[in-house]
Amino acid sequence: MALPNSTLAAIRYGYGLRPGEEPPRDVEALLGQIEEGASEKPRFPREGLSGRLDTATRVISLLAAEAKARRAGNPNEDVRKATQSEARRIYRQDAMARLAQAIHSPLGFYERLASFWVDHFSTSVMKSLPMRMIVPLYEAQAIRPNIGGSFTKLLSDAILHPAMLIYLDQDQSVGPDSIAARRNGRGLNENLGRELLELHTLGAGSGYTQDDVRAAALILTGLSVDNRAMQVVYQPRFAEAGPISLLGRTYQDDEGDSQDHVLMLEDLAANPKTAQHICGKLVRHFIADIAPEDMVGAMVAAWTKSHGNLTEVYRAMLDHPRAWSDPGQKIKQPFEFVVSGFRALDLPEKNFANLLRDMDDGDDDESPVQKAMDMTGMVARQDTKKKAGRANALTLGALQRMGQPIWQPPSPAGFPDEQSVWLTPSQLSERISWSRTVARIFGQKVEPSAFLQAALADAAHAETSRIIAQAPNKVHGITMVLASPEFNRR
Amino acid sequence: MSFDNGFLLSRRGFLAGACCTAAPILTPVSFAAMPGDNRFVTIILRGAMDGLDFVQPYGDPAYAALRPKLGLRPDTGLIDLDGFFGLNPAASALMPLWQAGELSFVHAVSTPYRDQRSHFDGQDMLETGGTGKGERTGWLNRTLAVIPRSNSRKAIDINTSMELILSGPNEADSWSSQSNFALAEDEITFLDRLYAGDPAFAKALEEAKKTDMSADSLYADSRRGAGITDMARLAGGMLREDYRIASFSINGWDTHVGQQGQFRKAAGDLSTAIVTLKDALGEDAWKKTVVLAMTEFGRTARENGTNGTDHGTGGLAVLAGGAIPGGKVLGKWPGLSEDKLLDRRDLMPTGDVREVAAAMLYRQFGIEPGNLTTKVFPGLSFDTSSVYLRG
Repeated sequence: MALPNSTLAAIRYGYGLRPGEEPPRDVEALLGQIEEGASEKPRFPREGLSGRLDTATRVISLLAAEAKARRAGNPNEDVRKATQSEARRIYRQDAMARLAQAIHSPLGFYERLASFWVDHFSTSVMKSLPMRMIVPLYEAQAIRPNIGGSFTKLLSDAILHPAMLIYLDQDQSVGPDSIAARRNGRGLNENLGRELLELHTLGAGSGYTQDDVRAAALILTGLSVDNRAMQVVYQPRFAEAGPISLLGRTYQDDEGDSQDHVLMLEDLAANPKTAQHICGKLVRHFIADIAPEDMVGAMVAAWTKSHGNLTEVYRAMLDHPRAWSDPGQKIKQPFEFVVSGFRALDLPEKNFANLLRDMDDGDDDESPVQKAMDMTGMVARQDTKKKAGRANALTLGALQRMGQPIWQPPSPAGFPDEQSVWLTPSQLSERISWSRTVARIFGQKVEPSAFLQAALADAAHAETSRIIAQAPNKVHGITMVLASPEFNRR
Repeated sequence: MSFDNGFLLSRRGFLAGACCTAAPILTPVSFAAMPGDNRFVTIILRGAMDGLDFVQPYGDPAYAALRPKLGLRPDTGLIDLDGFFGLNPAASALMPLWQAGELSFVHAVSTPYRDQRSHFDGQDMLETGGTGKGERTGWLNRTLAVIPRSNSRKAIDINTSMELILSGPNEADSWSSQSNFALAEDEITFLDRLYAGDPAFAKALEEAKKTDMSADSLYADSRRGAGITDMARLAGGMLREDYRIASFSINGWDTHVGQQGQFRKAAGDLSTAIVTLKDALGEDAWKKTVVLAMTEFGRTARENGTNGTDHGTGGLAVLAGGAIPGGKVLGKWPGLSEDKLLDRRDLMPTGDVREVAAAMLYRQFGIEPGNLTTKVFPGLSFDTSSVYLRG
């Protein structure tokens, strides 16, 4: 089926138009992106999957050694500081790589889905210092390969990843009657059990009770993280013995290598409430704050028929007539806004990479060599700092100010997704301010009307085209394209 | 970072801070005396300045009828200059310069741009020097190649990236003051129009303006003033040391609606920029400086129905500095009676603003007139008898 509007495909289902990039031609082209994207290696973590595991475990053991020395009365501030700044640098590189991934990838729908799912299964780099390194690994390992497959696989890979267990305190939870609890008085932490039902599967208000939350938490006991290897492990000493009943099924915890949590995840994934919850959320994300019921219904039917095959669910969404009508009901989230802005400006990869280099150059370097540099070096340093600040203000700093810093959701529920949140006076001011800054830096030689065409094509209203063409100067013309309602809606 | 690079940046870094802090450190090399002491600054007034408002021809019998709301007389606040023209009181900070013979105006000038009235094309022509649409180098950049003994002179654009006027094959630097730039009034008016069809956006913008909760006080005039001051101070600091040519822009001149308030701000910005340049340059350097402020085109002679003016043709150029023939309103005044207007609507251009620029370049740098009329402003008619070189 040919799309009524390939522009809409790029704007509603991708990160916007980019000059020289053919927008998706039809539904099959959109769906085809998923397999292609899932098989590609993302730009983060920078050292690759096993390389990152090495980095994380090295940093964690350094931290552990330092903590031990500290307890013994021999704190080593240098080690602590060096570790912190390394983790900060790694996070920054990965976050910039995530931006670059979204900007430069031609697989916009796949990238948008990756953002949707990493938000659905939120974890945060703010949880702890090692999480700065583990969350990017989590997205690459648990989320991205599973976007087009079965929801059960996505769910269990996401939940059974060290990042999720650490983020929702599963590594702290032990069964009240477990060996560990009897030995050292530790107890149950319901955090993951609760979010699993409320956020990840059934959905809030879908009828489960506090007893169900507790049951899910009990079934999850035994799951923990081996920090040295950064692996999920099953610790029988932590596990609550069965039987535990949840939503009409009894889970029997076997001694040793228990799989009861795996069965629970499969059951939750197959629960019709989960399909309803997630299809509704997809539609509210892609289409409108108030989801058209029949579209959700078609997706739920596809979910049921395919036993939770996500590609079939996306297909049902895209095959629905509402998928191609009433554009502009959603406000782009800040990440989408910034990514689509860079795409419209067609910023070359090299220039974007230079922004990261500027930020790295701005790091405090108090090495003796730096200090011994002749005095002119000090002033050069100010300039370097200034450039670093500018690069940050264009990218990660902008996202922070707009309220959507990368891998830092405000809660396990992820970022909000409604117009009332992303269209406020301060949000608009931030977006105008960012637009103006990028226009001044990258848009001096761009012709505003041509830029409007590149950024929005036939999605630009006639009146907007007229206003852009009359702008009092080019920079303001470019600014207005980026700040226009059409560019901020999708 | 290599030593060379650090050295280069350090000089700039020093210059940037030179105005406000005690000089930290400098090497003798970075401030070696340069041959040639004359300076030249261009200020581009983006959005089309209403020259008839800045320097008002109150002595012209047709003026009062064309400008019933915007027009002033000496008894209503206009500052008389010569019995025929008067200065808008928003630019009163410039009067000491006028009295000292360091300020002049050139009325009824324009580029060769006609009829289309597009800001972008008009500004392109102003910056490229009027050599047609395909030209992508600026006249100030091409100037660098024809200044005698110019190899050690430096040019700088005060912006976050190079503006067209200084873009081209010849070496020039761009530098920006650190402050964020606030939106000019006309730019905000454009945003109002942009959001007019989308009530949610319109409401958010209205509230942002009211509550001033914007990121960098986008709409606060005090910040805007500070931005202009920083920019002019940076340019002045650079010129006092080893730069000889500088350029920057002032926005806010597209006054279609409610001109009085918008114009007051923009005219205030321009006055602040010139006065700050003078302070930052210091007395000796100011004596050797020419500042030329120019705009893409003028505005309609008649005020429109929304207390503003629309895109016109003949405009005004502002000259300042110790090296200009000061205290004059130059140019051939065409008159404002309807038969004297271009298309019965615009001030008739009687001079080419590029000739003003050429005259100042000749005066400051001794550039061959033949080079000025072929390489800098191809096709311009200019020689040493130019009216702008007299006095």
